[in-house]
Amino acid sequence: MAIKTKAGPKKIEISINGKAATVVEGTYLLNAVMDAGYNVPTLCHHKDLTPDGTCRLCLCEVEVNGKKKLVTACNYPVRDQIKVATTTDEIKKHRKNLAEMYLGRWPNVEVIQNIARLCGATDAEKYKSELTDENPKACILCGHCVRACNSFMIQDILGFAGRGIKRHLTMPFGDVDPHCVGCTSCSYVCPTGAIQITDDMNNPVDPELIRSHGMKVNAEMANLDALQNRMREVGTANIVEVMDAYDLLPVHNFKFGKHPDTHKIDSKVMKSKYFTQGAADACWLGCSMACAKAVDDFELKTGPYKGQKVVVDGPEYETAAGGSNMGGFDLDFIVEYNFYCDTYGIDTISFATTMAFVMEAFEAGIITEEYTGGKILNFGAMKETLECLHEMARGDGFGVEVGQGVRRLKEKWVKELGADPGFLQDIGMEVKGLEFSEYVSKESLAQQAGYAMAIKGPQHDEAWLIFIDMVNNQIPSFKDKAEALYYFPLFRIWFGLLGLCKIVWNDVAPADNSKYPPQEAAKIPDHVENYWKFFEGMTGIPVDEDKMLLQAERVFNLQRLMSYYLGYGTRKDDLPPLRAIGPATVEEYLSREERYDRQMKEDMGIDPEARTVEEKLSITRDYRYQQYNKVLDAAYKRRGWDENGIPTVERLKQIGIDIPEVMALLEKPEQ
Amino acid sequence: MIVVNNKEKIEWYEGMTVQDVLDKMGYVFPLITVSVNKQLVHKEDYATYEVPDNANINVFHLAHGG
Repeated sequence: MAIKTKAGPKKIEISINGKAATVVEGTYLLNAVMDAGYNVPTLCHHKDLTPDGTCRLCLCEVEVNGKKKLVTACNYPVRDQIKVATTTDEIKKHRKNLAEMYLGRWPNVEVIQNIARLCGATDAEKYKSELTDENPKACILCGHCVRACNSFMIQDILGFAGRGIKRHLTMPFGDVDPHCVGCTSCSYVCPTGAIQITDDMNNPVDPELIRSHGMKVNAEMANLDALQNRMREVGTANIVEVMDAYDLLPVHNFKFGKHPDTHKIDSKVMKSKYFTQGAADACWLGCSMACAKAVDDFELKTGPYKGQKVVVDGPEYETAAGGSNMGGFDLDFIVEYNFYCDTYGIDTISFATTMAFVMEAFEAGIITEEYTGGKILNFGAMKETLECLHEMARGDGFGVEVGQGVRRLKEKWVKELGADPGFLQDIGMEVKGLEFSEYVSKESLAQQAGYAMAIKGPQHDEAWLIFIDMVNNQIPSFKDKAEALYYFPLFRIWFGLLGLCKIVWNDVAPADNSKYPPQEAAKIPDHVENYWKFFEGMTGIPVDEDKMLLQAERVFNLQRLMSYYLGYGTRKDDLPPLRAIGPATVEEYLSREERYDRQMKEDMGIDPEARTVEEKLSITRDYRYQQYNKVLDAAYKRRGWDENGIPTVERLKQIGIDIPEVMALLEKPEQ
Repeated sequence: MIVVNNKEKIEWYEGMTVQDVLDKMGYVFPLITVSVNKQLVHKEDYATYEVPDNANINVFHLAHGG
């Protein structure tokens, strides 16, 4: 069934000074007339800030349905087929009068002098009074700083106090507000220099460079995020419903990618019924994205704090998707397991993925009610899941067993219960002993490898290539996939080495990112440049893509060698379970039979007709492992590793880490 | 017949717009760039831009943070 996506805004034909122009509905008139080439004076407008309309200089005449009126162009959204005049005698007179008043009050401020010239105001004496401020860097009450504090930082530390001639800029109660983190946004947007930065903490080499790129990030968050991923509004939870739409949301231990009840746990419900906090939290105070969300006054229904109202940090996408993976389509349950995982110090992802595995094993009859201490652990057993969590923390009952994680459970159940090792291997979603994070990777070879090759196990931080590969189909060959598996982890590692958040790389995009061809656009070049400039501004060392990749590659290879030394860094450690690369059961195959049959026909050249589901499952399995091994070969080659996935001496020399300590890791693996 | 992202084939009909294609494919992610026969189509034109038969449509999704 087709899903109704949100249609974009429509275009409107208007007339500006008698000339036809086309604008997108909702465009502010000032932007429309400026784009059409007319220069309209303004003091309070700033391209990155919400328009205010206070300086009144941008007045234009608008004719709607034969009626004319004057409007402030900066905050007038175009919604009708209007006729606009940017300069009439009345407007000229009005602007000149205003400019004379501004000039009378702040005669030596450069931006005021420029406006006065533009408006034909020459008489600085006309409105000279006791209010006249001769300071060339005087505050002209434009409000840029107040709006920057609000829209860039989601703070209201700066504001106006007093009325009329007593109006002035201040912090609350005229004192320095301790909530100010010194983000410098106010100074950056101040047109006169009235707000000066007196201290640059941490002694950066070039604070201006850092600031100018930091403000780009702020401006995008303020102006684009609401139209893009809504990170400020709902955080990473914005993709719960998106992943469901693309068949990528893990359901029932990654068997399926969507569920009819996803609407019960999506970001709309979180926003309307749960999230009460949306400001920047301790992640980094002063972050203009502020994607962390919290739920206040949540009354717990279970466990040692039952009946108490608590604050819960989250839930984020992964936690919600962990819920769907366990069949728990109830946000009360998700918020509760979120809280107790945080409180007990348990990772929500590993918990949810292990629990989903336990549920599938229960439904398959590998473990029984007697074995679980009386708990019936079908998918969706939320109360019982929370019991397991509490037991895990207390150190008693079946919960202790769940706490062993997928890898140990597989081994234990084969040994002690005589379970089928092949089946448990196929459905046990772990690699290198770490549980998978919450994305379905079945239809993306690059993501399968991104997950399974990740140094510390299948976590998505190292590589998230699903859209690029599965949806966009922009890396179709093994070589293309290997290239993405080469650069993506290195970008992420480098951002991490700098101690900078990866989210501002690709959870918001510049409005003109489509100017780059797709392969480049995927890297969001303008944002990568921001990171380079942060590095250069701090250290004084310029960096480009080659230098960045080299720095990251040294660390990446060292990590791989350490992993190898510890017994987790060869080809056998990079192999995913069947569930991660394709259907593992008949039920799963049948749920997407049309897709799998089509792939069999088109990709493998095998006619699925007249074959049993079991046969088709087996054929698909063999084909997909074959494909997976090919992508692994290509990725190893691109990374300069041998066919067993071990970095070669030649590569270590090339990147300059062939020092004795590193070479020792290569020579003496522990296993 | 039109081809989306050099892979998915969907039936074409008279008057089919870019928005119709997005609906048909279920492409709800907001960070996308659309081109029809290599011609970039802006978001405000999705509802009115008519797709010709045999068109190659690319709907480029930006990777998100993961």
